[in-house]
Amino acid sequence: MKIKTYKKIIHDSLAWIIAFIWIIPFLGLLMAAIRPMDELLHGWWNLETLNLTFKNFIGAWNHSNVPLGQGTVNSLLIAVPATVIPVLIATMTGYGFSRYRFPAKRSIYILIILMLALPQQMIAVPIFGIMNKLGLINNYFGLIIVHTAWGLPWITFFMRNFFTTLPVEVEEAARIDGASDVRIFFNIALPIATPAIVSAASLQFTMVWSDFFLALILMYSPEKLLATQRIPLMRGVYFVDWGLLAAASILLMLVPILVYTFLQKYYVKGMIGWSSK
Amino acid sequence: MFKKFTLILVLSVLLISLVSVFGFAEKLTLIGPWAGAEQAGFMPVLEAFTEKTGIDVEYKVYRFEDLVTMLPAQFAAKKTPGDVIFMSGTEWMVKNAKHLADLSDVINEGDFVPGTLVSKVDGKLLAGTFTGKIKPGFWYSKSFFSKNGLTVPQTWDELVTLLQKIKMIPGIEAPIASGDGTGWPLSDVTEHFLVSFGGPDLQKDLIAGNIKWESNIVKGVFEKLVFLLKSGYFSEPAEWTTILKQWEKGEYALYFMGSWITGMVGNPDDLGVFSLPGCEGMVFGPDYFNVPIYSKNIEDTKKLAAFLSGKEGQTVSASLGGHIATNLGVPVEVYPTVDRGVAELLKGVQSLPDLDDTVGGEFQPAFWDQLKLLWVKPNRLDDVLKVLDEKMP
Amino acid sequence: MHRKATFTHLAIFILPALLLICVFVFYPCLRTISLSFFSEGKFSLHNYYEVLKSRDTINLEGFSKGFPLGTLLHNLLWITIHLPLTIFLGLFLAVYLKNVKGGSIIKSIIFLGMVMPMITGGVLIRFIFDKNIGIVNEFLKLFGFIPKTWTAYPETALFSLIFGSVWLWAGFSMILYSAGLETIPKDLYEAAQIDGASSMKMFFKITIPLLKPITIVVVTMTLLWELKIFDIVYVATMGGPGSASNVLALQMYTYAFKALNFGKSSVVAVFLAVIALAVSIPMARSAGERR
Repeated sequence: MKIKTYKKIIHDSLAWIIAFIWIIPFLGLLMAAIRPMDELLHGWWNLETLNLTFKNFIGAWNHSNVPLGQGTVNSLLIAVPATVIPVLIATMTGYGFSRYRFPAKRSIYILIILMLALPQQMIAVPIFGIMNKLGLINNYFGLIIVHTAWGLPWITFFMRNFFTTLPVEVEEAARIDGASDVRIFFNIALPIATPAIVSAASLQFTMVWSDFFLALILMYSPEKLLATQRIPLMRGVYFVDWGLLAAASILLMLVPILVYTFLQKYYVKGMIGWSSK
Repeated sequence: MFKKFTLILVLSVLLISLVSVFGFAEKLTLIGPWAGAEQAGFMPVLEAFTEKTGIDVEYKVYRFEDLVTMLPAQFAAKKTPGDVIFMSGTEWMVKNAKHLADLSDVINEGDFVPGTLVSKVDGKLLAGTFTGKIKPGFWYSKSFFSKNGLTVPQTWDELVTLLQKIKMIPGIEAPIASGDGTGWPLSDVTEHFLVSFGGPDLQKDLIAGNIKWESNIVKGVFEKLVFLLKSGYFSEPAEWTTILKQWEKGEYALYFMGSWITGMVGNPDDLGVFSLPGCEGMVFGPDYFNVPIYSKNIEDTKKLAAFLSGKEGQTVSASLGGHIATNLGVPVEVYPTVDRGVAELLKGVQSLPDLDDTVGGEFQPAFWDQLKLLWVKPNRLDDVLKVLDEKMP
Repeated sequence: MHRKATFTHLAIFILPALLLICVFVFYPCLRTISLSFFSEGKFSLHNYYEVLKSRDTINLEGFSKGFPLGTLLHNLLWITIHLPLTIFLGLFLAVYLKNVKGGSIIKSIIFLGMVMPMITGGVLIRFIFDKNIGIVNEFLKLFGFIPKTWTAYPETALFSLIFGSVWLWAGFSMILYSAGLETIPKDLYEAAQIDGASSMKMFFKITIPLLKPITIVVVTMTLLWELKIFDIVYVATMGGPGSASNVLALQMYTYAFKALNFGKSSVVAVFLAVIALAVSIPMARSAGERR
């Protein structure tokens, strides 16, 4: 008995040490953000002088040329629509694929699945051209459309897999009672699908928020830049400062981390959805 | 009631649109790359213009690389995001000549330091010249030098001896601090070597593509640089503002930087600067601006152009420190003390354009990237020169 | 089971997504493919030839002179190091943390690397490998190594990015394996124990085989991630010094938006897409099997 308990204590302690090792880089980042530069010049792990300050966070938020506050607002303006719209549309599409038969269904579905593997580089140049012709370069609407279109394949795949696990009996019963298909979708299927929808939404939101490449191509006005774009600009081109950069990085991370913290169950289920379906 | 409401709503919308179209039509837009502290050194110029003419100017920040992506589409649609745009690279100007306005009627050639006005394209002056920044040489702390008994070197041998001496001083990490922004100031130091040991014409020939990077002349100059790199006289490239702090603290003795450094240190009066021995040219990077022909208010824009290039605008800029005027009419008294010294340095040497800014395109980031490599691997000089030749347009 | 769809059904459920995907994803893909085959206005394989023989892509001299080795080899190297480490780390962590007190908190900490934007991942990597303020150097000093900024030197730049990315991505495989471990019925282990099997044997004969479908997913998703690396490199080294840490995705971007050579950039994009598709086949097959 005792040996087992000892073993367990050692095992658990080692596990926590692993966790500590894992979190060290974050600690370093935090230190850089809350301590003045002079203290950091030769290692943030030196804790002799500890003058904590929040001025880097304020500086990053109100930075004179790439304020993260403005960037955060911009990113939200993109991420929210670019989550809601594709999730709504793709849920319907996923439902359609799981319930109906139609010509070329299999081929279309395979095509959609193929797109899941594609890198964004594959559409970058033509998208730039299309958006240019539509006058949507440097326009949030354009970026939202691209993110929406890009998110549709994977969310469709995801929701379709979910709906196939849903027994059709309830829907059938409703149909016999005379309900139309659309009604069945909105009143029966959709409510049951809520957990899956939340999963998909949390993943899509995080992906759009974290996006850098598409924003890099389509957005360039200083005041319109998204939060992710402002980070590299704080380094190297203008006055750079590890403290500011660290604070800005932390601010940028906060949003997806908050999403993860509050929606963890759904988030993780979403990722796992890839494997158990 | 509903009808009244709709009427008011429609009228207000109309009013707002009218105001936004006509009410602010007087405002000009100027696009520049400066932000933060550098912007503070520019805004007073615009304010002086507004005071003089009553015309408002809105300032917007855009980086050159973003402008290069954005402008072609705008110009093709006969639009422009700014009435005055600060842009870099003569190659760009020549390529876009048909979209730019001729400024010969408001800018007089004779008013400027020779070599600082852009060459005319088909007889038209397509860019105006503003003030600029010089990259004179290695900056040092006068008190540091006198404390350690160091003197400014006049020959190559004296320079090497100086560096050897500095290396021995306790607390010194490396004699010369290597700043790394996105690759400059490494490129600035390199150009200084090329100009000092290859001559001003070498710089011009390299820009024009008349000489290859792999040629013996260029290689010879680089070998001097490589010698210093291999001897450990340069530090590892580090973020240029972080290393500035370390330089101020005495961890490095020399720092090659542009004249804007005077505005960034705590004690500018302690600053001294020297160029490499035998240097007959100096990279003087004036800021150039263009006026696209699609500007909605060409009249007022030309007034702004004249002001910026003219004595008045340049005087304001020079007086703020860190900028050197290209307009000959700016008296030397307006400069703050330390800049006066820098302005003096410019006399008697040829003013040259910045190499990588002028060539631009794919070459510039490759130039920066290759120099970062050279700094940590000086024995790869041959590969570096080969790549530079490949990436020249 | 499946009802035949009427036109209205299609219009409401299928068409909107199909339209958006066709216009903004499918068509651009076709266009990129076609761009890769056009050089100076004519149909030709010139772009492919140029990219393949370019030292940007494959630099055999690098084997004697040192990095760069070319983007293709860089990505390959990334895969070679990152993939096995990810699988082993993920599996190990999932198993080790299975019944630990507060294990879910530990797992969340490890998973944080996945949740944050890769741009900040790149900043973190640059930071921890810095000469003065980087924790890795401090640690290596204990073993007598002389500190230097890993990302500034061609021989270590790519490696610093790769190892940093292992730290970032490990949470992904760990979470997937954790979930997988939960699905293995306990009775299997109990029965094996009764038969006298050691934990090692149980691990290799029960756990690993039953985790195979998950392993396929982990391998596929990790491979796709390794191919598409962009943000991290962009902010930490911009592919340097001297292209020593350049990757395919960044090469595509430089060709397209710095050199304005759309033919070559499309070739790189097509490479990436083809490899990505090839890599996804096992997972697609596996998913198809379970329909």
